[in-house]
Amino acid sequence: MQELRRKYVIPGDKIVDGNFRPSMNVIRVGNSIFSTRIGIAEAGREGIKVIPLSGVYIPRVNDVVIGKIVDRSSLSWDVDINSCFTAHLPAQDVFGRDFSPARDDMNRELATGDLLTARIIAFDRTRDPMLTIQDRDLGKIPRGESLKISATRVPRLIGKRGSMIQTIEQATQTRVLIGQNGIIVVTGRTAEGIELAVKAIRMVEEEAHTSNLTQRIKILLNVPDTTPPQQTSLPSEASATKSQLSETSNQVSSSTSQTEIQSELKGIQESHTEGQEREQYNSSFPQQNPNVASAMPISNPSSSPSSSDSSLQSSPLEGASESEKNRKVDKERSITSSSGTEARKTKSAVKGVHEGSAEHGKKEEGA
Amino acid sequence: MSQTRSLIDKQGRRTDGRTADQLREVKITVGVVKNADGSAFIEFGKNKIVVAVYGPREVHPKHMAQPDRCVLRCRYHMSPFSTDTRKNPAPSRREVEISKVMREALEPALLLEDYPRAAIDVYVEVLQADGGSRCAGITAASVALADAGINMRDLVSACAAGKVDDKIVLDINDTEDKEGGADMPVAYMPHLDEVTLLQLDGILTKEQFNECFDKAIEGCRMVYEVQKQALMQKYFGSETELKEEAQ
Repeated sequence: MQELRRKYVIPGDKIVDGNFRPSMNVIRVGNSIFSTRIGIAEAGREGIKVIPLSGVYIPRVNDVVIGKIVDRSSLSWDVDINSCFTAHLPAQDVFGRDFSPARDDMNRELATGDLLTARIIAFDRTRDPMLTIQDRDLGKIPRGESLKISATRVPRLIGKRGSMIQTIEQATQTRVLIGQNGIIVVTGRTAEGIELAVKAIRMVEEEAHTSNLTQRIKILLNVPDTTPPQQTSLPSEASATKSQLSETSNQVSSSTSQTEIQSELKGIQESHTEGQEREQYNSSFPQQNPNVASAMPISNPSSSPSSSDSSLQSSPLEGASESEKNRKVDKERSITSSSGTEARKTKSAVKGVHEGSAEHGKKEEGA
Repeated sequence: MSQTRSLIDKQGRRTDGRTADQLREVKITVGVVKNADGSAFIEFGKNKIVVAVYGPREVHPKHMAQPDRCVLRCRYHMSPFSTDTRKNPAPSRREVEISKVMREALEPALLLEDYPRAAIDVYVEVLQADGGSRCAGITAASVALADAGINMRDLVSACAAGKVDDKIVLDINDTEDKEGGADMPVAYMPHLDEVTLLQLDGILTKEQFNECFDKAIEGCRMVYEVQKQALMQKYFGSETELKEEAQ
């Protein structure tokens, strides 16, 4: 079989001839595979796929999303998850199996307008997405500035193994919660820090596909570029093994002494949806400097309990994601936190004051 | 449709100075409407059309939703100032019809079954009309749908051909449409080599029909190159090849 080079494609472009397995965002016509999206075509373990560069959020099982309560019935809440489908959060998920609509006050737990982090536990062609908040770090978000970006930009915002978002968090003294659906909540002590973080996130969104973005973000945030010259090669082969990667991570951790990330990891994991032609893609956009990730501090697994089993966001180039993927089919993705309290489900959480961004009204009907 | 004056001069030039095989200048800009999920602005000669795509999104009214696929809704509308005499902004019979044929021209290119119970709305707003606006609208709508990240089998390119002074010419303009012999808009998926729209207003012999059809397909291929260029420019800048990252 011929070797497939990564290339730019638009809908209808022929990617390859031959007996390849079509994966996501491609179709087979005759003996050829064609792209159905604008993006980057590449051959993965599971077949030929296209990493899309545009599009709205389509829910997938196991995605961690940030949603907003828009309504409630007697048995469940309706949650806007920035998609064409409204998600449902059953009241039993919050109150337990002995939930009684007559006894329990749903408004006490989650009121209309509240933001929450949740995981999609069920979704298919016939049903709307079903959410759960019964997990680490899921639940109501008590405070923060929310904003919306394109869901296709989320992997770039996270960066290789969380490098981009860690840069932003460290430089602005903020914490950034990212949902796979493109909704982001920024919290921080100072308004200036939040403002700067939002500015940086917007910049990542707009310039996601340009080269040297991490450098420009660092300039915006006034962060000195600390790329050590000796660490110019990370395993970027798709065949890189996990052990290779973790070895490299250790090197990086030890050599970059400023591994003082007290902020949470953004461990939004890869997942498989059963037999579907979709999968979580963790892409870095083209032209990204492969050396940038090596400069970024890697969080110490001990400070973040679940980081060892929640794969960090990594690009397909790094390959570790490929090898880890199979092992982690049903593993939860979670937004982990080293301090682990803010994003965590707290039933006694103080009634939230979250400044809903004007962005929420962006795509009004009939706009 | 009777022709009253000669529309092709002795040198073979048409009313706007083009030759028989020449397309008007086509220019497409992607992503002009920030609120939309995908958008495009096309200048096809003197036609100026903006297209905005929203979706996949929730279907309202709910009863329109299809359980197994997405609903595609198209609205072709001419602004009151798009023609020399004011056009009533209410949807006319012609606009309703063009909305329908545009939807049917775009539907075969979309993988609507990927988005069950959802809707995709395509708004085509003609700001300035100069003949062939449905072709220009389909061309821009296809680019806007790709920009919105909707799964598509192929782009749809559209171009008209027609008969002027008993001669088959490519891409007829407003004058040629009104005073010429025939007008044949064609929409075409270049990679799949399939026609999604074929209309004909006028009378052609079998040979003329074949010649006209072939010429329109040729025009569609030229339009496709412009579409491709516009999308590449928006998403990948001036680069055409992906640079492999350093090993």
